[in-house]
Amino acid sequence: MFAIVLAVLVLAPFVVVGAAAFSGSWNGVFPSDPTTSHLRDALSGDELASLTVSLQTALLGGLLAVVFGTWAALASRTASAPLVRFTDALYHLPIAVPSVVVGLGLLVAFSRPPLLLNGTKWIVVIAHLVLMVAFTYGTVAAALQRTDDAYADVAASLGASPARVLWQVRLPMLRPAIVSAASLSVALSMGEVGATIMVYPASWRTLPVSVFALTDRGQTFVAAAESLVLLAVTVVLVVTLDRLRGRAVER
Amino acid sequence: MTVQLEDVTVHFGRTCALEGLNLTVAAGETVALLGPSGSGKSTALKAVAGFVRPSRGRIRIAGVDVTDVPPAKRGIGVVVQQYALFPHLRVADNVAFGLRAARRPKAEVTRRVAEMLDMVGMSTYARRFPRELSGGQQQRVAIARALAIRPPVLLLDDPLAALDAQLRADMLDELQKLRREVPDVAIVYVTHDQAEALALADRIAVMRAARLVDIAPSADLYAAPPSAFTASFLGGANLLPVEVSADEVRVAGHPLAGVRAKEGNNLLCIRPHAVRLGSGGLPARLLAAQWRGASSRLTCAIDGLPDVRVHIDVPAGGPLPEVGAQVSMVLPPEACSLVPAGTR
Repeated sequence: MFAIVLAVLVLAPFVVVGAAAFSGSWNGVFPSDPTTSHLRDALSGDELASLTVSLQTALLGGLLAVVFGTWAALASRTASAPLVRFTDALYHLPIAVPSVVVGLGLLVAFSRPPLLLNGTKWIVVIAHLVLMVAFTYGTVAAALQRTDDAYADVAASLGASPARVLWQVRLPMLRPAIVSAASLSVALSMGEVGATIMVYPASWRTLPVSVFALTDRGQTFVAAAESLVLLAVTVVLVVTLDRLRGRAVER
Repeated sequence: MTVQLEDVTVHFGRTCALEGLNLTVAAGETVALLGPSGSGKSTALKAVAGFVRPSRGRIRIAGVDVTDVPPAKRGIGVVVQQYALFPHLRVADNVAFGLRAARRPKAEVTRRVAEMLDMVGMSTYARRFPRELSGGQQQRVAIARALAIRPPVLLLDDPLAALDAQLRADMLDELQKLRREVPDVAIVYVTHDQAEALALADRIAVMRAARLVDIAPSADLYAAPPSAFTASFLGGANLLPVEVSADEVRVAGHPLAGVRAKEGNNLLCIRPHAVRLGSGGLPARLLAAQWRGASSRLTCAIDGLPDVRVHIDVPAGGPLPEVGAQVSMVLPPEACSLVPAGTR
């Protein structure tokens, strides 16, 4: 019984979106006039630009989030306890705060010199970075907590400089967690709407925002086709990153 | 003197993990730090390695004060309890780690790695990853990795604790062999197992509650333990309360001929294998008998001392008295010594 409810709630929307993406009209119970024109629309002009914008934002924001999250996690090992608690809370704040509020905050903060980022793509990237870094920090910090300090100690006793210990022992051992964090933040970034919609300039419109805008204008079928593209690209990205992790674990 | 600890004290927060340790280990000497968990033995090793910072005292290596020198500049070989082989590096790369950190020429690294793997009998495993090795094999690689940088000092932190009994006996053999391969290295061997300490160490430092209790050549420490704690921790000696009057030592009212009286509050120390059953001894009752293969361990209570358990190891094969039977316990005077009762 529960399985049926779950199937209706989880699977049905995907099926309907998939069906809508390929139909010319949907007036009865089932869609009619099968067509691929929506999909062609979704992969051309402005809409294709949205896809590349989303990809760039996700990869750039995700990458930066991984760098900052890993950095923070490594730094928190040696920092004093009150400072760690404070940063911990700070990093997790974007999870607790609604993303629209985060977007509004960034908009107000960066709309005036000297930090005039409003109207550039960087405000979108920063919004994504702020939202994703909580997840990357959490993932890497948890993995770091599970690794024994003995590895770094032994490496040091063998004459390795702190930089060598970091690059040849700590980071390689954290690689599975770092890749997980990357794939999580890329996936979340590909679907982010709340904060993006507050800050995006006309020149830098991400795919989910396009979907929202199209639906708002009543172009539901094209929106559905674009959702399908978004879904496919995200799945490919996450699976690719997961492969990387698989190899890291195997080594 | 290769390693010299002078009044070394380590605090973790408010807890004192090591209190005023004085210890020297000469080149070519093996010193075992023996004690129960929490006795400060591992902390002492970490202080020598540079992993923890003493709050007081100095550490010298080959005469040079290294108290404020980071571990990377001390040039000490360390083998930690769980080996800590780098999981993402192959066996050969693990062994090469220290040589590469020192930027040795490639040819030398290759030669030295081959030499070390050969020494520990792991040449055929050079291309494996650590998780493909058994505990004993990982242990050998860890030792090869530590010795590859030709350290003047090798620190071993309870290296056999993670192995099962059979493997432990084999590795003990290997460690004895290894000792002969590196005759000039000063070895500090931390262990909670008295058998390992006796088998490997030239001198044993018995530790307890963050302090050094006794240190002496292993044979002396075993034959004539200076304290009750050492007597029971090293070799599980029987400790019996005695009455001393004039020049006579008595146990439960029975005089022991040939045992010299000593000043102070003492206990009579005798090893389980030195006690014999025979006529003319102390009357006692047999409480339990445990067959251990080559010998049997008997647990007795001397009449008049109902709260003191006396262990006796008798060679297997002979007839054993029934449990509950009355026996006569002979304490040969040459095997008896008096040790200060102190705080057990």
